[in-house]
Amino acid sequence: MRKVRPIAIVMVILIALFIVGWTTMGQKPFIRTTLSGLTLSALFFMVAAGLTLIFGLMDVLNFAHGAVFMIGAYAGWQFYTNPTFIFGLLPLVFAVLAGLSFGSPMRPRLQRLSIPENIYSPLRSLLYLAAAALVVGSLLGYDILSLAETAMVATMTASDPLMEATPQEALGGFWFRPLLLLLAGVLLSIAGVLPRTPNTDDDGTTSWRGWLLSAGLLAAAIIASLARESGAIAVLQMNADLRFVLSLLTGFLVGAGLGAAIEITLIRPLYVRPQFLVLLTLGLAFVLQEITQVLWDPLAYQMSRPPLFSQPGKADSILAWFSGRNVTIDILGVTFPSYRLFILVLGVVMLIAMAILMSKTRLGMIIRAGVQDREMVEALGINVRTVFTLVFALGVGLAALGGIGAAPFIPVEPTMGNRFQLQAFITVVLGGMGSYGGAAIGALLLGFARAFGDYLALRFSLSPAISEASTVIIMAIVLLVRPAGLFGRKE
Amino acid sequence: MTNILEVNDIQTYIGQFHILDGVSLSVREGSITVLLGRNGAGKTTTLKSILGLITPRSGSVVFKGEGIRGRRAFEIAALGIGYVPEHRAIFRDLSVMENLKIAERNKGDFERRADMIFDLFPDLKRLSRLPGNHLSGGQQQMLAVARALVPENQLLLIDEPSQGLAPLLIEQMMEAIHRLRASTTVLLVEQNFIMASQLGEEYYIIDDGKIANEGLMKDLVNNKELIQRYLGASTAIPERLAGSEGR
Repeated sequence: MRKVRPIAIVMVILIALFIVGWTTMGQKPFIRTTLSGLTLSALFFMVAAGLTLIFGLMDVLNFAHGAVFMIGAYAGWQFYTNPTFIFGLLPLVFAVLAGLSFGSPMRPRLQRLSIPENIYSPLRSLLYLAAAALVVGSLLGYDILSLAETAMVATMTASDPLMEATPQEALGGFWFRPLLLLLAGVLLSIAGVLPRTPNTDDDGTTSWRGWLLSAGLLAAAIIASLARESGAIAVLQMNADLRFVLSLLTGFLVGAGLGAAIEITLIRPLYVRPQFLVLLTLGLAFVLQEITQVLWDPLAYQMSRPPLFSQPGKADSILAWFSGRNVTIDILGVTFPSYRLFILVLGVVMLIAMAILMSKTRLGMIIRAGVQDREMVEALGINVRTVFTLVFALGVGLAALGGIGAAPFIPVEPTMGNRFQLQAFITVVLGGMGSYGGAAIGALLLGFARAFGDYLALRFSLSPAISEASTVIIMAIVLLVRPAGLFGRKE
Repeated sequence: MTNILEVNDIQTYIGQFHILDGVSLSVREGSITVLLGRNGAGKTTTLKSILGLITPRSGSVVFKGEGIRGRRAFEIAALGIGYVPEHRAIFRDLSVMENLKIAERNKGDFERRADMIFDLFPDLKRLSRLPGNHLSGGQQQMLAVARALVPENQLLLIDEPSQGLAPLLIEQMMEAIHRLRASTTVLLVEQNFIMASQLGEEYYIIDDGKIANEGLMKDLVNNKELIQRYLGASTAIPERLAGSEGR
């Protein structure tokens, strides 16, 4: 019952608006505005979905969410346009991971070491310092900037990316980089599990799974080192539509990997001091933006659309598009870019996938239970810490997927995520913090408010600030009526 | 018979507060051992220290011959310890069925034991589709115990199962725990002395973070002075229950 009323209210408001719009605006402008409203809603939802997931379980307000949206766009754009940069860094990433992964199988043995109290802290600092030195050493003289430039040039000049592919450093000069990073990872993992007092009580045994994982990552690092150039060329030679699908996947994976790394290294130590998490994630957003500026200059790039959405001409209907793959589609007399419909579909798919994840899978069950009582979930034998990492990775991955989804029709630039972040926060607050269904409804409200606000501003020559303000006004009204948001639970 | 659980001289702090000051106890396999004591004496903290929800600063916890102090709660639970917390901690947004299924440690745990669980608590079968927050207090308590029975647990830590229950439900709960004894070991925290005395074989009295007294329940029942000193008002026995048959 609690959930039906807000839906009914939202529906009544929407239907009323539709009737007013249909009768006063005329059919074509109305349909066009509705469609762009839906597209915007889908985009807002893609950012808000991860945000609400993370907040719901972990009480973390991720202010870096807009920044990872941007990172996703950059990663996907790189992969689609010229993946030289990604293939150049891949072996290094695998090498660090392989090194770090040795900590887990070595843990039982290391835990039994007895280290004199007076050298414990210096020893750990020394390990960290040595690791840092190795990292610096491994990157010394590595020309990351020119790797980053390849896709930049390909985009700016629209030339054949294969021609622009910068050759990777020869293996003879490269091999020591992953090796040093591997060592750095091993040192870090040792520093991480060194016991202050020897723990002879815990006689847990080494798991072969841990060794297997380390071996797998090591193998991946070696393969990635060998395939730096051939991998990039193979990607460029494949079917462009397939490459686009893979770039969506790349955006998601880069986001998820980044999310997992952020959760484990930065967020985990701060759960006990949640007020610092706001500062941390906010700072992280700036750092990520600055890094992209250094690598790709503070410029805006237009990623080209995959052939699936870029054949000239207009398809008469959605069915006709399947054979023509045109850049626009005629929908009820309105010409609409086909790629925007794809965004809409992507948003709906994400919503359905999330609904299935939350209601049908074990992970979803654990998330719903963990939102309420983490301690009890842990007491059932479930590793809540891992679930947190997974959820953070998933949430950040979703934002990154939204970013690459949006990249072909909004400029790819370091600040591209900021406005979506603000909208996503409003969406999450509207929907009731932590409710993904609420986030979907909130995204619909905001998307329509923006689209119709823009239309009204144009029609009556009002300031475009009206539509920007409308979202905040909606939030104020909803919060006045329902302080916990549309689907929020009063605590 | 061997001891399935041995706790030796644990010191547990919550923040700066020294809650357990050298608690030692052992639980014989296949028995029901009761932990008695006043509010705030450290009963719940003892259970949490065993399960690793709070890590004792020193001392040892040995479960099935394996030292487990310092491990994380999920690892300890996975060794075969079920936990029924004080306030039931039923997941509100999960259905009764999901509340049971989430406790599975291996796929199919629930199916294997569903008959046994619904035999103990027939009400749950009828309610299985309802969300957890639609259950009454007594039904929630039954669900909390049932949840601990889903995986193959060798030890159950049950915290105040009678709290807030009507007398009739208390008897039903006692009956259920009594029947559990056949398949598992129970460490029970209980303020209701009637319930504790009828179920328990061994007892420990904890007072101000230390074990004040221990022994066989049948000896404690006759020691009015001891009961009065450590358990005081909490042993006030309702007339109706006091007259009921012992087990």
